Amino acid sequence: MTEEPRLSAREMIERLEPALSRARRVRAVTSLLSGLSGTAFLTALWGGEPGPLPGRTQVMFALLTVVCLAWAGYGGWLLMWRVPLFATDRVVAAWIALAASLATTAALAALAVQRGTGLGPVLAVGGLFVPAALVLAVLAHARRRALLRRARELDGRAPRGPAT
Amino acid sequence: MTDELLVVRAQLGERAALAELVARWRVPVWTYVRRMLDAERADDVTQEIWLAVIRGLPRLREPARFAPWLFTIARRSVTDRLRGQYAREHEQAHEAPAADDLTVDDPVDAAVDRAELVSLLSGLPMPEREILVLFYLQDLSVEDCAQICEIPAGTVKSRLNRARRLLRAHLEEKGYRP
Repeated sequence: MTEEPRLSAREMIERLEPALSRARRVRAVTSLLSGLSGTAFLTALWGGEPGPLPGRTQVMFALLTVVCLAWAGYGGWLLMWRVPLFATDRVVAAWIALAASLATTAALAALAVQRGTGLGPVLAVGGLFVPAALVLAVLAHARRRALLRRARELDGRAPRGPAT
Repeated sequence: MTDELLVVRAQLGERAALAELVARWRVPVWTYVRRMLDAERADDVTQEIWLAVIRGLPRLREPARFAPWLFTIARRSVTDRLRGQYAREHEQAHEAPAADDLTVDDPVDAAVDRAELVSLLSGLPMPEREILVLFYLQDLSVEDCAQICEIPAGTVKSRLNRARRLLRAHLEEKGYRP
């Protein structure tokens, strides 16, 4: 008698579905980006205050910053260890990151202009996030192109007929 | 379609390629795990392995080396499970005698393991059993076995020799003659 796995291929795929769900990937990317944007925004607000703040306000700023960092950490952890981002997902995620970086930089610049504070810190934050997102986008596109090229090569070599 | 093409397509995000990959390698992975663990845990561990494979697949740099990579993950999962089992047995050692072999001493397994090869494999020590399963049942090369087990190729060969000697001895005990 030969033993067989109890789970069929279809059942196995169904059990793996949660790890592959789009909602989970969106949640991970959103957590990371909103956490990072929130941290940048709060830090700029906090640092740009013209006068000394009361102790309680300082504590609130610190707490909110920690919350944003925690969300960023959670998103980063999900993306590193829990949620697989395939090549096409990475391209989409990189463009979302670029859009979020530009939006955050623009919002920070508007805030700085409105409050009459210098644009230096804003440009420093933008100069960090935007190029990083651009590099991620370039790398994601390069990886996807390489995989597509390899798939075409292998497809051309593959024998026609039933799957082996 | 080759495994490498399936892996590349899965890395691009094609769900159908991923499903085909799982369908193709489901039984070999389960067979390897089942030779190391009892039937109940084999299903759980197999699911853990596939979860780890899906999470790690986007980072796999050599799609052509999918099989050794897959069995490296499988081996790690089996080792983790056995380590946990041994730790529990060690704690309970003074209360009840521990099983010498996880798959042989389980009465359910004994009922299930009717194939001669399976019963013979179950009688081998874990390192030799593992090498036999990878080399003969999964048709992996000595180099791939070495990579999966994280040992030199020479050690794989010596384990294979020892495993063959042990198998021969078991067969002779059962009355088989070459």
